[in-house]
Amino acid sequence: MNILIIEDEIRIAKRIERMTKEFFLNTLQKITSVQSLTEGLDHIKNNQLDLVLLDLNLNGENGFDVLHETASGAFHTIIISANKHEALKAFEFGVLDFVPKPFNKERIELAFNRIVKKEEVGTENLQFLAVKKRGGIHLVNIEEVNYIKGAGVYTEIFLTNGEKELHDKSLEKLSQLLPKSFERIHKSYLVKTIEIKEIIVKTGSQYAVELHNGEILPVGRTKYKGLKETLFK
Amino acid sequence: MKTSSTYLLIVFLISMVTISCSERDYFDNGETAESFTRGKTVYQLGDDISWKNTSINDSLWTQNITIKEDQIFWSRTDIEILKAPEKLNQYGIILNQFGEFEVFWDGRLIYKNGDPDNSLNSDKKGKMISKFMIPKDLSTKGKHKLAIRKSIHFYLDYNQFFYYYIANYDQILRGDLKDMVFIHIFAGAFLMASLYLFLLFIGNRKSYATLIFSINCLLFFLLILFEYMRSYVDIHYSYHHTRLEIIGIITFLISVLTPLYFSLQFKFPKRTKILVLYTAILLYVFFREHENHDSSAYNMVVFMWFVSLAIVIFGVIKKMNGAKIVLISLLASIYFHQDINFDISIHIGFSIILLGMFYILSLRTKEQRLAYEESLVQSTRLKLELLKKSIQPHFLMNTLTSLIDWVEEAPDKGVLFIEALAEEFDVLNQVEDKTLIPISQEIKLCKSHISIMRFRKEIDYVWEDEGINENIVQEIPPAVIHTLLENSITHCLPSDENEMRFKLIAFTTTNTQEYSFLTFGKVRNQQKSKVDGTGFKYIKARLTESYGDGWSFSSEAVNEGWKNTITIQK
Repeated sequence: MNILIIEDEIRIAKRIERMTKEFFLNTLQKITSVQSLTEGLDHIKNNQLDLVLLDLNLNGENGFDVLHETASGAFHTIIISANKHEALKAFEFGVLDFVPKPFNKERIELAFNRIVKKEEVGTENLQFLAVKKRGGIHLVNIEEVNYIKGAGVYTEIFLTNGEKELHDKSLEKLSQLLPKSFERIHKSYLVKTIEIKEIIVKTGSQYAVELHNGEILPVGRTKYKGLKETLFK
Repeated sequence: MKTSSTYLLIVFLISMVTISCSERDYFDNGETAESFTRGKTVYQLGDDISWKNTSINDSLWTQNITIKEDQIFWSRTDIEILKAPEKLNQYGIILNQFGEFEVFWDGRLIYKNGDPDNSLNSDKKGKMISKFMIPKDLSTKGKHKLAIRKSIHFYLDYNQFFYYYIANYDQILRGDLKDMVFIHIFAGAFLMASLYLFLLFIGNRKSYATLIFSINCLLFFLLILFEYMRSYVDIHYSYHHTRLEIIGIITFLISVLTPLYFSLQFKFPKRTKILVLYTAILLYVFFREHENHDSSAYNMVVFMWFVSLAIVIFGVIKKMNGAKIVLISLLASIYFHQDINFDISIHIGFSIILLGMFYILSLRTKEQRLAYEESLVQSTRLKLELLKKSIQPHFLMNTLTSLIDWVEEAPDKGVLFIEALAEEFDVLNQVEDKTLIPISQEIKLCKSHISIMRFRKEIDYVWEDEGINENIVQEIPPAVIHTLLENSITHCLPSDENEMRFKLIAFTTTNTQEYSFLTFGKVRNQQKSKVDGTGFKYIKARLTESYGDGWSFSSEAVNEGWKNTITIQK
C-alpha cells in the first residue's frame, strides 16, 4: 500500500499515520504526510498511490477543490474532517468513506477495512464520476451512465448519449463506490440495471443482456444467478 | 462652470416670470351687496356739528383732502338701501378705517369709536374695524347719508382708506367666523406639529431639517393668528400696519424656509449659491412694493412655490425617495389656489405642502429606524460570530482530536491542553457580550489561543507585545487581534527552527490609537488576497460598530512576514 495523508494539523496527522501503520503493518510500502493542498496535489501527480486520506479544511483552503482531483484518481479517497455536514457532498463525488473528527482507532479501521475486504460502500449518495479530461476534471453525472467496462487498470464509462469516458479507477474500485442500481454482470462489466431490456440465454449456458439502446453485453456464468435475482425480485 | 450659470439663469428666469405673472391686486373682497349700493364719499376739513345733517350743501366738499395731525375733519357718503331689512331683522354696518370718529346716519349719532376731539388719547380706544347696528327706523329703502366726524393721529396718509359693508346685523357679527374656525383648526395642527418636531429635534440635534420644519410650522401658526386676529381682537388703527408688517415678515420667512427644507431633503448641486440668489430675489420682491402688503405676500408665496416645485422636480428626476408624493402635493395646492381667495387658499395650499413635508419626514424616520434595526441585527450577528469562534467544528473538532491523542499518548500534557482550552473559553465568555475590551484582555485571549495551537500544531509559537500600558485606556473590539492571530497561524509557515513569532505593538496618542500586529514567518500563499475573508469582514464590522468611520485597517505582506495595522480615531 502506498498512502498519502493530507492534514495540516501535525498532531492529528501523526495520529492518522500511527493508526495507519498499525492497521496495514507490513502491507504498507510507503506512507507520506503533507500539510497543504499544493504539496498534496504534487505528490498525487508524481506517485502511484493506493489511498489518500484527506482533510477538507486545510489552512483555510477548501479541500473540495482537490476532491475532484483525487476522486478522478486511480486510488481511493477517505475524508477525515471536522465538518460532518460536508459528508453527503463528499460521497456525491465518490469517496470511499467519511471519518468525522474526533475519531478513534475503531472508526478509522472500519474505513480501512472497506479497502482490504473490498466491501461496497453501500450508500446511494454517489452522484458524479470525476474523470480526467484535457483541460481538467470533468464530472459525469451517474444518471447519464449506461454501463462501465473494465480495461485493465482503467475503466471505460459508456454514457446514455453514446459517448465514452475513461476513468482511472479500476472496475473493482468503482464497484465499491457505485450505488446498488449498478450490477456487476461480468468480470469486465458493471451495468445500470434499469438499462437492461432482456436477458438472452444462448446455447452452452452462455448468457448475455440486451440494453434498451440495443447493445448486447456478456454475462458471466457465475453472475447470472445474482442478476436474475436482482431483476425478478 | 457652464452648468452652474445655466442653473442660475433658469432660477432667474423663473423668478422674473413669476413676479410679472403675479401682478394682481389681491385686496378685492369681491362682495357684491344685494342690500345697498355705495355712493360717492366727499371730505371737508373743519368741524361743524350741522354737517351731520342729511340736507346740507356739500357741493364744495372734495374727494381728496390733506389733513393735519389730530385735526377734526368730516366725510359724507351717499348710500342707497335697496331693500329694507326684513321683519324682526336689523341692518348692521362694518366700518374699516383709520382714526377716531363719530358716525352719524341721516343726522343721528349712531356710533362712536374713540374720541375724535382727543385722538392722541393714551388708551388707544379707536379700533380699526367697527361693527354696529343701524337703527331700524333709519334703514328704510332709499337714499341715506353717512356722515363721519373724525381725527387721525397716526398714519395720516391713510385718512382716505375707507371700507364699509351693510348687511343683516347678525351676518355682520358672524363675519368670516366660518372660515376662521376652519383655518384655526389648521393653526392648531401647525402648532402641534411645530412642538412635536421641535421635540424631535431636541432628541436629535443634528437633524436641522426637522428644526426648519418645526420653525416653518410655528411661523404658519403665527401667520394664521396674525391674519385672523382682526376678527376677534379690537386692534387700534395705529397697530394695523404693524400687524401687516408682521404678516409680511412671517410670509417672507416661510418663503425662505420651505425651499430650504426641500433642498435638504432633495439635495441638488450648487445649493448654497442658488438658495442665496433665491433669498436675494425674495428680498427684492418683499421690498419692491412694500406698502402693498397683500400683493408682496402673494408674489413671495408664488415665487416660493415655483422654486420648491423646481427642487422637487429635480428630486423626481433623480428618483429620490418621496419626491413624487411631494410633487403631487405641490401640484394639488394649485387647485385650491384657483378656487378660493388668496387668504384662505394659501393656508390650505400650504397645509397640503406640509403634508408632503410630513411624508418625507416619515420616510426619513423609517429609513433611520431600518438603519437602527440593521445595526442591532449586525451587533447580534457579531456577538454570535464571536461565540462561534469557540464552537465552530473546524476549531472544536480538530482541537478535540488532538486532545484525545494527547490524552492517549501523554496524559500529563493532555491535562495542560485541557487547561489551555478552558482558559480560552473562559476569556471568550468574559468578552462575549462586550463591544470593546481592554487590550490586556485581548492579549490574554490570544495567549490562550496560542497555547492551544501549540498542542495542535506542535509549532513553537512566541508572543511579544509592546506599548501596553495598564494605566491608560487602550481598547479594542473583542477577538479582533485574535482573528488576525488565527489568520496568521493558518496562512503563515513556521521558520526552519519550527518557530513562529507574533508581535503586537500598541501606539497611543491623544487622538489616535494604533495597533500593529506582526507575524514573523513565510506567507503560504502570497498572491491569494485575504482582504475579503470572513475574518476581515468580522474585524471591519466590529470596528464600524464601535467607531463608525473613525478607523482604518490595512493588511500587507512585509519582509519579515505579515503586518496588520488598525488605526482608531478617538
